[in-house]
Amino acid sequence: MDRQERITLLALIADTFREALARKIFWGLFGLSTLIILFFLFLMKIDVAQGALATLSLFGQTSGRQVDAARLVRQFQAGIATFLYTWGMFLSAFASAGLVPSVLEPGRIELLISKPVARWKILLGRYAGNVLLIGLNAAYLVLGVWLILGAKTGIWITGFLWTIASTTFVFAVLLSVVLLIGVLFESAALAIMVTAGLMILSPLLAQTRLMDRLLSSGWTRWLWTAFYNCLPKIYDLGHMTLDVVQGNPAWNWFAVWSSALFAILMLGLGMVVFARRDY
Amino acid sequence: MNNSVLPSATQAASDLAIDARLLTKVYSSRISRRRVRAVDGISLQVAAGITFGLLGPNGAGKTTFVKMLLSAVRPTSGSVCLFGRDANDASARRPVGYLPENHRFPTYLTGSGMLDFYGALSGMESSARRRRIPELLALTGLDNWGSVRIGKYSKGMLQRLGLAQALMHQPSLLILDEPTDGVDPVGRRQIREILTELERRGVTIFINSHQLAEVELFCREVAILERGRLALSGAVKDLTVGKGFKLTAVRVPDPVRAQLNESATAVWSSDGVVGFQFADRAAVNRAIDLLRAATCEIQSLEPAASTLEDVFVRTIHG
Repeated sequence: MDRQERITLLALIADTFREALARKIFWGLFGLSTLIILFFLFLMKIDVAQGALATLSLFGQTSGRQVDAARLVRQFQAGIATFLYTWGMFLSAFASAGLVPSVLEPGRIELLISKPVARWKILLGRYAGNVLLIGLNAAYLVLGVWLILGAKTGIWITGFLWTIASTTFVFAVLLSVVLLIGVLFESAALAIMVTAGLMILSPLLAQTRLMDRLLSSGWTRWLWTAFYNCLPKIYDLGHMTLDVVQGNPAWNWFAVWSSALFAILMLGLGMVVFARRDY
Repeated sequence: MNNSVLPSATQAASDLAIDARLLTKVYSSRISRRRVRAVDGISLQVAAGITFGLLGPNGAGKTTFVKMLLSAVRPTSGSVCLFGRDANDASARRPVGYLPENHRFPTYLTGSGMLDFYGALSGMESSARRRRIPELLALTGLDNWGSVRIGKYSKGMLQRLGLAQALMHQPSLLILDEPTDGVDPVGRRQIREILTELERRGVTIFINSHQLAEVELFCREVAILERGRLALSGAVKDLTVGKGFKLTAVRVPDPVRAQLNESATAVWSSDGVVGFQFADRAAVNRAIDLLRAATCEIQSLEPAASTLEDVFVRTIHG
């Protein structure tokens, strides 16, 4: 990538940030993360006694019983990771869905295309800006909670930091679908529906062993497995992250590479469609 | 006007700024299978350094043609080169500045922010952008508006900002779609002055406009499109050369006037001056003989010229 291409890519990323700021998406996401961080900072009090046992106070009310401090921290971190994988992902997809069709609006896209930038780079810049925005938000929340819990308990569980990478990765996978739908249909609503559909389908499709027993015919079992293999494994990736956070890492590389492949395919398809379309 | 702000033509790869050959665009409906030939085999060459006007009624294919120049629309067949480079190649658009017709600039940006963004997309370094933005804002009369969000700009201000955007990277070819649309007369004059200076500096200016009077005033060459085809093209001065002569005289007695009415193609009168238009030299000479014999004073005699509007109407309506 030469210097001019870097200037262009950075401009497109910065423009995504500016639009997210103007649409209050940036502040919405960071505001929510700040609220969670403030909850851990001010409303939750953990008293660690004898280095391992802790009592927990919420809103000034003490639980009374002592719990294993490390276990408590892991549970909180797992809660944050689960939140990020479910509501966090949905909110992020919802917030980002409009950022692709907005670029394709008549009167705006012609001017972008008239610049000496290959079309695929315009789309890639928008995609990268979006991923970076959500990645930064995830990093802010996870690092914030990790620092507060660590400072309050003296327990620093680094596995939790994997949540930044894994949620950003899952978002990048989902955004590739948002991008393709955005380019194909220029509809933010449809992009959200499809993304939500993928998120809902993922835990169902992941029950392959159960379905193997429940489905009677061979071809339906084959179809189920095919769907599971082809679609992104959001549930598996979330499960894997929870395992890491809870100190039992069980890397599911198939879920990682097959989801990455799915994202690359969606992104590539989006770029091809975008490159060929008349505006 | 600060002339040092304006770009000079530096592109010398080809004598032709635009070279469109047999350009065709057919839109097909997937459902009804209906096919519309928006642009039908247009070949058009625009020499570097001239001002060129593209005219045509609504639906003539002007916008599709302009979009094909910029690769926003892919031709069904034919080719476009900008300064000798295939327009499909992104780098061919590096010397091009474009102002679209129904532009929708991002309203979350300020005037300066917008210029910075589009300047960066044209590959400009940040130091060059920082230097150029205040110059262009001043040139377009927006020097106090740079830090204001463009959502607050009027239509005319947006148009001037759009022109500044097109000039940001010192282009050698400016493609302007209705550049004075929504601009007040003062702003229109300002834009004309900027464009005149650009022309003097050798920048090729391609204008797509409905403002025939402005195109006539400003462009050296024009092309008229009709139903996707090139109906007429040429130098404005050649196209507007009228047929015949205009003759004005004073103290024309009624019988002479009645006699001349029969051979004149048009007659008008104002404040005792009677004007006649004759189709050819023989007719005007006969009229002069008649008027002099009647001791009338001839006030003026000149070749009749058509306006571009006359040419346009004749071309479109036959």
